[in-house]
Amino acid sequence: MPYLLRKGVLFVVTLWAAITLNFILPRLMPGSPEDAALGKLASAGVPITNAERHAVEIQLGVPHTNVFTQYWDYLKNIVQFKFGHSYSFPSETVAHTIGKALPWTLVLVGATTVFAFVVGTLLGVFAGWRRGKAADTTVTLGATFFAAFPPFWLGLLLLYFLAYKNGWFPIKGGYAEGATPNWSPSFLADAFKHSVLPALTLAVTTLSGWVFGMRNNMINTLGEDYVTFAEANGLRTRTVALLYAARNALLPNVTAFGLSLGAVVGGSVLVEGVFSYPGLGNLLYIAVTNHDFPLMQALFLVITVSMLVAIFVVDLLYARLDPRVRRA
Amino acid sequence: MTIITAVPPPEAPGALADVPIRPSRVPGPLLFVGRAVRTLWSNSKARIGIVLLGVIALIAIFAPLIAPHSPTATTFTPYLNPTGQNWFGTTGNGQDVFSQMVYGARVSLLVGLAAGILATVVAVTIGLIAGYRPGVIDEVLSFVTNLTLVIPGIPLMIILAAYIQSRSIWTIVLVVAFTSWATGARVIRSQATTLRTREFVTSAVFSGERLFRIVFREILPNMTSLVAASFFSAATAAVMAEASLEFLGLGSPDTVSWGTILYAAQQQNALLTGQWLLILAPGLAIALLATSFTLINFGVDALSNPRLREK
Amino acid sequence: MTTKTALVAAAVATLVATGLAACGSSSNGGGGAKGGGTLTIQGDAGNPTLVENFNPFVAATELHGGYLMYEPLEFRSPVDGTFTPFLATGHKFTDPKTLDFTIRQNVKWSDGQPFTAADVVFTFNLIKKYPALDGNGVWAQITGVATSGNDVTVTFKAPNVPFAGVVAKTPIVPEHLWSSVPDPTKFTNTKPVGTGPFTLDKFAPTQYSLKKNPTYWQAAKIAPSEVLFPAQSSNQATNQLDVSSGKFDWSYNFLPNVQKTYVSRSKTNIYWFPPGGVITLYLNLTKAPYNDANFRKGISLALDRTTIAQKAVNGYLDAASQSGLILPNLKKWLDPSLPDQGVVKPDPAAAQAAFAQAGYTMQGGKLVKDGKQASMSIVMPNNFTDWVAAAKEVSTQLGQVGIKASLDLPQFPQYQSSIQAGTFDAAIGGFGGTGDPYTDFNNALNSSFAAPVKTATANNFERFKDPTVDQALATLAAATDPEAQQQATHTLEQVMYKQVPAVLMYYGGSWGLFSTKNFTGWPSADNPYTLPTSYDGSLLLVVTRLTKA
Repeated sequence: MPYLLRKGVLFVVTLWAAITLNFILPRLMPGSPEDAALGKLASAGVPITNAERHAVEIQLGVPHTNVFTQYWDYLKNIVQFKFGHSYSFPSETVAHTIGKALPWTLVLVGATTVFAFVVGTLLGVFAGWRRGKAADTTVTLGATFFAAFPPFWLGLLLLYFLAYKNGWFPIKGGYAEGATPNWSPSFLADAFKHSVLPALTLAVTTLSGWVFGMRNNMINTLGEDYVTFAEANGLRTRTVALLYAARNALLPNVTAFGLSLGAVVGGSVLVEGVFSYPGLGNLLYIAVTNHDFPLMQALFLVITVSMLVAIFVVDLLYARLDPRVRRA
Repeated sequence: MTIITAVPPPEAPGALADVPIRPSRVPGPLLFVGRAVRTLWSNSKARIGIVLLGVIALIAIFAPLIAPHSPTATTFTPYLNPTGQNWFGTTGNGQDVFSQMVYGARVSLLVGLAAGILATVVAVTIGLIAGYRPGVIDEVLSFVTNLTLVIPGIPLMIILAAYIQSRSIWTIVLVVAFTSWATGARVIRSQATTLRTREFVTSAVFSGERLFRIVFREILPNMTSLVAASFFSAATAAVMAEASLEFLGLGSPDTVSWGTILYAAQQQNALLTGQWLLILAPGLAIALLATSFTLINFGVDALSNPRLREK
Repeated sequence: MTTKTALVAAAVATLVATGLAACGSSSNGGGGAKGGGTLTIQGDAGNPTLVENFNPFVAATELHGGYLMYEPLEFRSPVDGTFTPFLATGHKFTDPKTLDFTIRQNVKWSDGQPFTAADVVFTFNLIKKYPALDGNGVWAQITGVATSGNDVTVTFKAPNVPFAGVVAKTPIVPEHLWSSVPDPTKFTNTKPVGTGPFTLDKFAPTQYSLKKNPTYWQAAKIAPSEVLFPAQSSNQATNQLDVSSGKFDWSYNFLPNVQKTYVSRSKTNIYWFPPGGVITLYLNLTKAPYNDANFRKGISLALDRTTIAQKAVNGYLDAASQSGLILPNLKKWLDPSLPDQGVVKPDPAAAQAAFAQAGYTMQGGKLVKDGKQASMSIVMPNNFTDWVAAAKEVSTQLGQVGIKASLDLPQFPQYQSSIQAGTFDAAIGGFGGTGDPYTDFNNALNSSFAAPVKTATANNFERFKDPTVDQALATLAAATDPEAQQQATHTLEQVMYKQVPAVLMYYGGSWGLFSTKNFTGWPSADNPYTLPTSYDGSLLLVVTRLTKA
């Protein structure tokens, strides 16, 4: 219980800190992003009512006003998901735009993380078990090299060779033109086909975290007494590796989930842009190239908060899986 | 963006206990470097890394001799595939890509090293202070470190770079360093905490040594491999982050680096013109540079953790 | 295996099976009639997905398909100014201030109601009542619109012959539906009823489709049975890849090396890149030293336009004439006394002399006045790659005459607000391209458009003000006699050449990319009946000229 309480408090405090950081950043930066934003919104055809102006100022900063009042208004807006308008997509509110993109990113990031976890962990077990041999070196060097691939670079190469040149996969989008998102099997299959290349790109470049984490844990665990004891009792090495060593080595790996998730989310910003995949990463890509501050602000907040929530959920799961932690 | 290296997480204190304690006298710097390189060389992975890094460094240093043309002159026919005169072809502006690749090594290497050094300096400072001074300072610094670790790196870098209106190479160095110091700080703080209670430190405190001397003469030398590991991790992350920022157009428009070659290739649609080499070459170079740092880091880890050394 | 595991396994298996099945099916899902007759045109940009808006008066938000559903009275070709009749069978000036349109008979709205002259009058009064709908500024020039039998008569404030083209291109909407719309400025018109050859069929977030209107007054002439508009991506490179992969019958995209990237990909791929405007270096005339004609002349003489064109558009198009006319389209209006057809050749000595007249001298490689080096910041949208390439070359060339030029590369909306508000320093922009010299000159030079700095204006954003030029424009507007029109046009060409209100550089291309696989009859160099722009009124004219391949 104290573990959960500790993690809960940490979650709330970190959440508060992230929200506050998002408030402080635009007010620290040189120039006046709020003027720029208002000007661009106007030319994009968004009516600048007093409410609109107020929303932009709360988000980005108003000179010569009480910062605490601004902060309180900012918190109120966040809770109600009021992020105003963006000039990249003036026809709908930022909250609406993000709302449409969020499920796509959740699915992409979720599927990629699961895939990278499974494959990476298995490779790590393999490498740790066969430590020092050719298999280990291959896996280690391979994982190091793949981790050094800039995700957008791999994405461009896959786009060129597998989608553009050969037509095996679509060039862009989350689904085919003319289709309207629904739950039918044909749409799901279509969405799946559109997600293969972005997911593959992200998975390959984030595998290494799992590989190394698992490999190290395997190496440490294989040196433990109970493993030696099991081997002395005549159990086959493979049995020992999978049933005992891997399972126990798996647990600390779950905490590495947070760092890996950060890598996937970060990578998705670049990869979604390359494939025009309709997720949050693509929105951030557009926002950056447009210097669209309201949209960038909102996206940064949503991405950070989502990550914090995910990590907190995993921490809770960790408590269920590892009894030792609960008593800590 | 952090890459998980072979350094075991600090929650496994057993691993760190194996750091060999050296006497208080710090050996001469040149001898020290020489010894370090020799030890690294014995590790086969680090050897590959050193060779790779060496090749890239040589290309960067001797760029004017190696590159056949100026990287920015727009004198050639645009959109050419590799020819005798332009070994990698030309950009949409008529610039020679091979020369750009050669000169680009300078910027990519410099940014990686500069951001790596800056991030390490910050990490060491914060880690040492937090580790050596328990209490409020430690709590605050630890919290800031954890917060920076948890906030996703690339989105944060993007926001920072976008808000900072000036587009210079130093903007990138600053932004990248700002987001990559946290991992190193955490590791160094752990080690500092462990060392703080060692006898040689206690005796130094009792003999009246000043704080500055204690930290830099007693504790730091016993963490060199950790600091080195932190540096190489940060440098790896820096190379990747620089490429990402430049690809998004947040780089300086006047510099030629591997990242800006990729940006230009995407803007001028090298995939459309069939010039996939313009995408392959700079990306591969970035990957090799980042790999070389990580490989060297394997050797550094092996120095500090005998269990990871090759038998 | 537990029941739960079995269910999960079944779900996964289904997903994989359908995934494999989908791999085999066609990649263009949803919509698309089988068996020919489908015209696929590269569609609008998503926002991030398409926003359904077919209000024909608000060009900024209207989806392009609206041009195939609503018709104007007549369409004036932007190439050479010839008129094609649509809802009016013809027009003439009965006196210098009265314009008479003969309205076509036996035309029906797509809901079956008859179209009459009353609808025309209603439309013009509608845009008078709601000025936000009058995007072309019609009511700045006319005083009234009335019917007389089958004709519609438009009275002008002052004689303005060329303005007939602007009046004629107003889209006509049905009175019986629009008269009950509470606020037409916000009306998204998702169930459009028009007189045009197509009606709305399906609308999805990334594509919409139109189907043929069987009661269209020239339905027999319309070849396609369906028109598809797949949305563009915000990633410009991906759009180019789509075009190159043969997805569209008609697209509008700058493609580098078009032979290699498009024509060679299929036997049926053709292209036509006519000049659609002049890419121009605009200088903010409210700022010094740009308000000094000598300084501007110096810049004009310092630039090597042929090289700029080469760098910008890879030789697709040439250096432009400083006369302001797009050649050879408008050759008949050219003033023969202009040397080299008005194309300014680079002359460094003359440039220096002009700068000297403005008080600038070369000192140590820098062009200096009062100790300060001349410098300029040139703004343009960062994704107009040919403009960026041109600006880079301009910057290099200006550097050689000692001027420090830097580039500012925001996104399009920021660029547009900057030039419209007049807060820019120098800018790359388009000049001309309406097909009518008066309109081209008027848009650029008429001081009535030159709003004060920080007040937006779409035309004459460089804020040129000269009362004698306004007078010359009025003379051209009123001229009905061809000889008088020639004289007046020549006067304005001389203004462009001698005063250099803007530095015209090279012809901007109109990037028409076509496929003759399904349809032929596209505009081309042999048959230049309009510009190949798929995002404005040309859509209607082209589609009515297509025949099945």
